[in-house]
Amino acid sequence: MQTDWNALPDEDFRHVFRTWVDENCPRHLRFMRKQRPVFDEVAEWYHALAAKGWLSPVWPREHGGMGLSAAKHIIYVEEWARLGCPRIPDHGIGLVGPLLIRYGTQEQKDHYLPKILSGEHVWCQGYSEPNSGSDLASLKTAAVRDGDHFVVNGQKIWTTLAHCANWIFALVRTSRDEKVRQKGITVLLIDLTSPGVTVRPIPNLREEADFCEVFFDNVRVPAANVVGVVDEGWNLAKAVLGHERIFLGAPSRPEYALSRLIMLAEARGAFDDPAFRSRYARLRLDLYDLCSAFDRFAKVLRTGGELGGDVSVLKLFCTELYQRITEEMLEIAGEEARFADDLDANGSEVDAMNLYLDARAPAIFGGSNEIQRNILAKAVLGLPG
Amino acid sequence: MPKTMFDDEDGTLAMLRDSVGGFAEAHPGAKALRARRKAGGDLDRGLWSAMAEAGWLGLMLPANLGGADLSIREQAVLSEALGRALLTEPVAQLAIFSGALLRDAPAGEERDRLLRGIADGSLLVTAAWQGAGGKAAPVKASGAHPALTLTGTCHFVAAPVSATDVLVLAEGDRGRLLVSVPAGAGGLSVTTRPTLDGAVLGAVAFAGTPVESGRVIAAGAEVDGLLASAIEVTRLALAAELAGVASRALEITVDYTKQRVQFGKPIASFQAIQHRLVDMWGDAEFACCAVVNAVERTLGAGGRDGRLATLAAKARAGDAAVGITRRAIHLHGAMGFTDECDIGLYMKRAVNLNATLGQPEELRLAFVDLERSA
Ligand SMILES: Cc1cc2nc3c(=O)[nH]c(=O)nc-3n(C[C@H](O)[C@H](O)[C@H](O)COP(=O)(O)OP(=O)(O)OC[C@H]3O[C@@H](n4cnc5c(N)ncnc54)[C@H](O)[C@@H]3O)c2cc1C
Repeated sequence: MQTDWNALPDEDFRHVFRTWVDENCPRHLRFMRKQRPVFDEVAEWYHALAAKGWLSPVWPREHGGMGLSAAKHIIYVEEWARLGCPRIPDHGIGLVGPLLIRYGTQEQKDHYLPKILSGEHVWCQGYSEPNSGSDLASLKTAAVRDGDHFVVNGQKIWTTLAHCANWIFALVRTSRDEKVRQKGITVLLIDLTSPGVTVRPIPNLREEADFCEVFFDNVRVPAANVVGVVDEGWNLAKAVLGHERIFLGAPSRPEYALSRLIMLAEARGAFDDPAFRSRYARLRLDLYDLCSAFDRFAKVLRTGGELGGDVSVLKLFCTELYQRITEEMLEIAGEEARFADDLDANGSEVDAMNLYLDARAPAIFGGSNEIQRNILAKAVLGLPG
Repeated sequence: MPKTMFDDEDGTLAMLRDSVGGFAEAHPGAKALRARRKAGGDLDRGLWSAMAEAGWLGLMLPANLGGADLSIREQAVLSEALGRALLTEPVAQLAIFSGALLRDAPAGEERDRLLRGIADGSLLVTAAWQGAGGKAAPVKASGAHPALTLTGTCHFVAAPVSATDVLVLAEGDRGRLLVSVPAGAGGLSVTTRPTLDGAVLGAVAFAGTPVESGRVIAAGAEVDGLLASAIEVTRLALAAELAGVASRALEITVDYTKQRVQFGKPIASFQAIQHRLVDMWGDAEFACCAVVNAVERTLGAGGRDGRLATLAAKARAGDAAVGITRRAIHLHGAMGFTDECDIGLYMKRAVNLNATLGQPEELRLAFVDLERSA
């Protein structure tokens, strides 16, 4: 019988989790520069978590998850970040698993969930297309029924980690309704090793391979790979993130960046400069207040409530603060702020430029900040039009 | 719309909010502000008595002296509600600041008399302790108790004309003193200056003002401690009041932009305006979160933890209130530039409270100094 983690007091759970993770997460994987290591780079950590039964924090225990409550999940994520553990390819754990557990058939659950835990299936998320980004409902990748298969043609883009994944969960168009564009979209699970699939990595701003283009040329996909109902995939794709939306605004990235800014500033005597102190104070307090705001939403979850649309205020504030902190790093790097490699801070390396570049992305993905503002305007302030 | 979120098992906080709401219906804040401004007054005695009757002036004072013995949690909720309702009587100065100075001072006849008077509204106890730059600047106390006299000038004194008693920070031969002086004492004179939010503040000059026997409230190092904690608790209450001003100004602006039509549709349907409103909302939300955090840390670990949180909250709420009300005026168009439109009063109140007991920049630097000194 597995442990009922939710029965432990928060601080006990934190202690148990942290102790084991600190002992078992390999040192050389801590605080990696890369936001998105590929599967092979972190495989030993992935398998260690799986063997312990801790790979999947929120799946119910019957499916091999830890069954954590939202409150315990927050602790899990906090300690993970605090210890600098690398992000693992987590589309399977974070998105496909919950999707199948909620909407999948018994056969789908039995087939796919164990393969996620074992690492046999590595998933990526195929939503965006070249002409369908913020306006996702305009997507065109077509899936046409042919007997007990669908034939898929089209293209996905910005697909994170597609080059190390072997499966993609994609939004495809199965019919068209001129009035309601969201209708006619279906969630389809596609084997990336199928004939007709081409994956091409796109070097990102940091000159890393991290996201890709995925082309589908008459790819045959069994109809059994549809999740939920054909043509009704939109709401299911949107609903897959529940309380996890809080993590888009988790303070860990700006926290890490600020710790690097402090190292740099101390090494360069910037704290003696009143102008820097003033700018630093603003960033420091922004981070402090972000933590207070994060707590306010975490408390909703701790007391058994559900998050409203207002939670995305955290994402806005967090991603913009992350950017400003990295901008300040370049400011105090002075003439050095044109080197691509790391900066020296009393013998330690500070990856200022790496963070500066990285910080551009979170304001774009996960619903760009403008789109978040559009949604908040309607959902929270009830503004017209 | 943003508000502070606390556990409220017994419903005290909801009751406080309701009580301010009901009060504001009977005594609209904007109307009272305009009347006081017109009269050049520093306080509305009638409103003050009504507030005392509502039990708001002694919220954190001991029950045996007529107070309600509640905590900064209830005070924050009350102050937030006052901010929302634009009730601008000097509660922060005369009830919270003076109350805090006295509450933690050694018990004694004079201290108890003043505290009772604060709680029941019969005394208007103001504090004179700031120099022209706003920092603590004690006046000179010559001689020895009971023949002390005061010389010097204090600034930023609230309700300087209406006050019945003045708590004075003084420096004697043997250190700091906190003394009380009746408003009509010999050698005491007041010069007033109008404030942006329709009241006046005073410079109070002492020219050999005698301190009657039994009127030394505290002496020595204790005085600095009293002052520091009075500043802290008042800052937190001001932060809450600013959060209230901010949230209400946002609400008013959202309503206005929904009903104002240009180009054939409500101006709130334009994206440029929507994004501004969302940012204003986010600022108000963060201000409320910062206040809650400060209250919880003050009541929890307290000490340095509470001090840091309070500095952060006053800075955040001040920036939010000033920034939101400024944008609010803009979104009202020319109407926002009139004296008749209440939104301008919210802005003036925000600027006033923001400038009281430390502007955001100063508070942020104090936070960083305190945090990095560890
Ligand atoms: C690092 C990274 C990883 C990603 N990983 C994945 C992935 O794994 N799978 C996946 O499917 N997608 C992924 N994406 C794609 C991401 O979801 C999209 O980038 C995002 O939805 C925005 O779409 P777009 O890039 O086409 O920008 P566009 O929609 O073209 O937007 C361009 C700009 O216009 C603004 N804009 C657009 N519409 C409006 C509007 N109505 N009002 C105001 N402003 C507007 C946007 O905010 C943005 O600033 C990833 C993106 C990044 C950067």
